[in-house]
Amino acid sequence: MSPSMIPPVRALAMRELVRFFRQPHRVVGSFAQPLLFWIFLGSGFSPAFRMAGAGMERVSYLEYFYPGILLMTMLFAGIFSTITIIEDRNAGLLQEVLVSPASRLSVVLGKTLGAMAIALLQSLVLLAAAPFIGLTPGPGSLLMILGGFVLASLGFTALGFLIAWPMESTAGFHAVMSVFLMPLWMLSGALFPLEGAPGWLWGLMTVNPVSHALQLIRLPFYHSPAELLTHSGYLTGLAVSTAWAVGCLALALWRVGQVERGADPASAVGTP
Amino acid sequence: MVRVEQLTHVYPARRKQPPRLALDRLDLTVAEGTFFVLTGPNGGGKSTLFRILCGLMRPSAGRVLIRGLDLLRESAAARSAMGVVFQKPALDVHLSVEENFKIHADLYGVAPSDYRRRLDEGLSWTGLADRLNHRVGSLSGGLARQVELVKALLHNPSLLIMDEPSTGLDPGTRRGFVDMVRRIQRERGMTVLMTSHIFSEAEEADAVAILKEGRLLARESPARLRASLGRELLVIQTTGAAPLAAELAVRPGLKVQTREGEVRVEGPDMTALVQEIFLNRPEGIRAISLKEPSLEDVYIHLTGRSLEQEESEGTRLSGGGAP
Repeated sequence: MSPSMIPPVRALAMRELVRFFRQPHRVVGSFAQPLLFWIFLGSGFSPAFRMAGAGMERVSYLEYFYPGILLMTMLFAGIFSTITIIEDRNAGLLQEVLVSPASRLSVVLGKTLGAMAIALLQSLVLLAAAPFIGLTPGPGSLLMILGGFVLASLGFTALGFLIAWPMESTAGFHAVMSVFLMPLWMLSGALFPLEGAPGWLWGLMTVNPVSHALQLIRLPFYHSPAELLTHSGYLTGLAVSTAWAVGCLALALWRVGQVERGADPASAVGTP
Repeated sequence: MVRVEQLTHVYPARRKQPPRLALDRLDLTVAEGTFFVLTGPNGGGKSTLFRILCGLMRPSAGRVLIRGLDLLRESAAARSAMGVVFQKPALDVHLSVEENFKIHADLYGVAPSDYRRRLDEGLSWTGLADRLNHRVGSLSGGLARQVELVKALLHNPSLLIMDEPSTGLDPGTRRGFVDMVRRIQRERGMTVLMTSHIFSEAEEADAVAILKEGRLLARESPARLRASLGRELLVIQTTGAAPLAAELAVRPGLKVQTREGEVRVEGPDMTALVQEIFLNRPEGIRAISLKEPSLEDVYIHLTGRSLEQEESEGTRLSGGGAP
C-alpha cells in the first residue's frame, strides 16, 4: 500500500459512513433489527434450550445467541455496503471511480474499510448489552473480540463485493443473500450449536468459514487471552477466518481488475 | 492530443447473438486544443469508442495514444490527463455537491491547495456557488450536469471526454451547457471530445467525425462539411414527390433525392427554380424551403438516408446500440 492510496481509500470509506448516517431509517434499522432478533428469539427459545458440554449447562439461549447476533451485524453491514455497487455501476459514483487513476486496491479497500467501520460502530453499541446477561470480558478479551469483528467484517464485505460486482440488478443480490449469505450465518453455530446437530449438518457447519469467525467472537467472552492462545478451537478459527478474509479480498481485487475485452477480430467476419 | 490507430472492437458472442463488430480499423486524430464532436447513428460505434477511451473496455486490436501516452499500457498516467463526463451522472446523489467534488479530488490525487483554487475557478463558470451544501439528488438536471463538468475539471485535465452529456436536458439547458463547455475549452486551450447525436451541438465544433458501422464516414469542420454540399438546399414537401423528382432529375447540374413526401434538390441558382416551381406546379405542394444545409443534411447527403431511419433500423436489427 503506497501513500498515494490513502486519499482515495479514505474518501471511499468516508463515503460509506456519510451515506449510512444520512439515511436515518437505515441507522435505526441496523441497530434495532439485531436487538429485536436477539430479544425476541433469545427470550422465546430460552426455556426450550439446554446447552450440552462441560461448563456450559447454565448458558441461557439469550446468552448463547448473543455472539451470533454480533456476527449478524457484520453480515448485514457488509451486505448493505456492497449492494450499492450494483446501483452505482450504471448511473452513479462507481463509473467515476473506475475511470479515475485510483488503484484497484484502493477501490476494494475503501469499500471494505468503510463497511467495517459501520459494522464496528453497530457492534460496539450492542456490546454494551453484554453485562446485562452476565458477560463481562476483560480489556484483553474485549480487544480479541474486536479483532474477531474486524476479520468477520472484512470476510463478509469482501464476499459481498465479489457477489455484487458482476450483478446487474439488486434483486439478484437479494436472492443470493437469502439462499447463500443468510444460510452461511444460520449454519455458523449462531442459532444452534454444532454439537448434537445431525451428521450432514455438522459437516456443513464445520466447513463453513463463518462458524470459525463466530468462535473468534464467542470464545473471548469465556476465556482469558492467555487461554485463547493455546485453545485449538480459537487458533483454528483465527487461521480459517484470516484465510477467508484474505482470500475474498484477493479475489475481489482480481475481479475489479478485470476489464471487458473485445473478442478476436476474426470472429466477427461476415457480420455488418 | 488523441490518436486512435487501427482500433477494432468486436463484442464477444452472447446467447442468441453472434459477435458484433463495433469498430472497424478506425483511425482518428483529435488535434490539441480543439472541440471535437463524434456523431453518427446509434450502433455506429460512438459509445464503444467512448468506453475504450475512458478505459472501461479493452479493444480487440489497435491502440490509443493520449498525449503520446499509450492508454492501454500507461493507463494511470493517461487517466490523470483526462476528465470524463458520462451520459448518466457519475455522482452520489446522497452526498452534497461539495462532498462529490472532494471524492473526485481524492481519487485523482489533487493537492488541497490546488483543490480550493480550482473549485473557485469552476464555480465562477457556473451557478453552483450557493449550492455546495445541497444534496446532488435535489438539483435539477441542468445543475447536476454543471456539477459533473466542474468535477471533471478539478484535476485540471488537458482532455475532456463526454458521452452525450446533454441527454435528458431540455433544449435551452442543453444549449447553455454546450456554450459553457465551449467557453471553458477556449479559455483553457483544452481539448474536448464529445459524442452527440444532436446536430446543432456538432455545429459548434472545430471538427466533426461521423462514425457509421465502426468506420469513419466523414471528418471535417462543420463549415466544410456543409460546404461539401456545396450549394443551397431546396426541400419541397409535396404529395407528388416521385413525378416531380423524375422531372427535376433529368436537368443538368441538379442533384435530386426523394424521401417520403419530400424532394431535396441541390444545385446552382435555386431561387430561379423556386420561382419556376411556383409558377408551374402549385398543386400538391405543401411547403418549399430554401436553406443552408445543416449537419443532418450532410448526413443524408452522405448516406442517402436520415438519422431517424437509421436509428429505428439499428434498434430493430441489433436490439439497441452498443451498451
